[in-house]
Amino acid sequence: MTFTACTREKELSGMVANGQWPLACPEELRAHVSGCRSCSELVLVSSALRTARADSAALANLPSPGVIWWRAQLRRRNAAIERVGRPILGAQIFALATCLLLGLGVVVSQARQGLNWLSWFGQLGQAQVGAFDLQALWPGGLFNSGWSLMVILPALATLAVVSGVVVYLASDKK
Amino acid sequence: MSWESILPSALTGSAVRTAELRMDSDAFAGFYQRSARSLWAYLARVSGDPALADDLMQESYVRYLCAASPASLLAEGEVSARRYLFRIATNLMRDHWRRPGSTSIDDLPEELFATVDRSSQADSQAMLGPALAQMRPRDRQILWLAYAEGYSHREIAEVTGLVSASVRLLLFRARREMAGLLQEQAPNKRRQL
Repeated sequence: MTFTACTREKELSGMVANGQWPLACPEELRAHVSGCRSCSELVLVSSALRTARADSAALANLPSPGVIWWRAQLRRRNAAIERVGRPILGAQIFALATCLLLGLGVVVSQARQGLNWLSWFGQLGQAQVGAFDLQALWPGGLFNSGWSLMVILPALATLAVVSGVVVYLASDKK
Repeated sequence: MSWESILPSALTGSAVRTAELRMDSDAFAGFYQRSARSLWAYLARVSGDPALADDLMQESYVRYLCAASPASLLAEGEVSARRYLFRIATNLMRDHWRRPGSTSIDDLPEELFATVDRSSQADSQAMLGPALAQMRPRDRQILWLAYAEGYSHREIAEVTGLVSASVRLLLFRARREMAGLLQEQAPNKRRQL
């Protein structure tokens, strides 16, 4: 198929689009169209499709714009909630992983020191039942070890929480 | 109280900026009234399925509203906003045909398009329905955009994702094919009458 577009197609397209074809069209252009294959095809197809557009548009059963507006608002809200939830979930996972790692580290370090605090269970059995002594509830190993767990554990917990918050803020900025 | 006010303040900056760019419901209603019928006609004629056209039209507007800045699109001019809307609709139609569960428009029987065509009372429509049914979907799309909507080659390329130079050639071939089909059917129609 040879590609031979007529130079007058643009002019003709404008006239068809503006509804000037065929009545308000110059006689000379009408004569050209009757002798030009490309232009006559343009008029035929363009007129048929424009009529089809008008007919189809009349058939459309449109919903209220308010319904579509409401659906869009709902979707935007859900997307916003999802956006907010994503960094929180990431922060939670990070905090959990940090806690597990730190817990594992504590267990390993205690195991290396010989698990001195296990002696607390033995002391608990020897304690007098009648008299309540708060000191008896504290594991002695805690105070005997070089690093006091009473300080380390809250520090680690704080670190885990702060890490989670930092991750949340970092992912939120992105 | 709007839903945006309950979101954490970390999001406030971007939320406010986006809200400024969003159109209000009245502006949208006006735009919808002016553009919905032509969009539905495009979807119905190209897909050959009015029910699908209903769904895709609604989805197109919802996606348009959820876009980053429909108001700024509208500020560029309604022609630009309509073009964007048609691009969304074209992509949705393409996605629908690509979905595994749905039948590709290439596999649909030609009779379907002829029977679905509800506007076949008029002579021109009685000829156009079968002629469109025999065209390939892409040809139907570009023909419709060019001659029913009056889009330029560059605009059609933007809407369909084709290269502008290809549009020119494809359009020429599609128009020739359709003109041939219409001319074939015209004598048949006259004989029937």
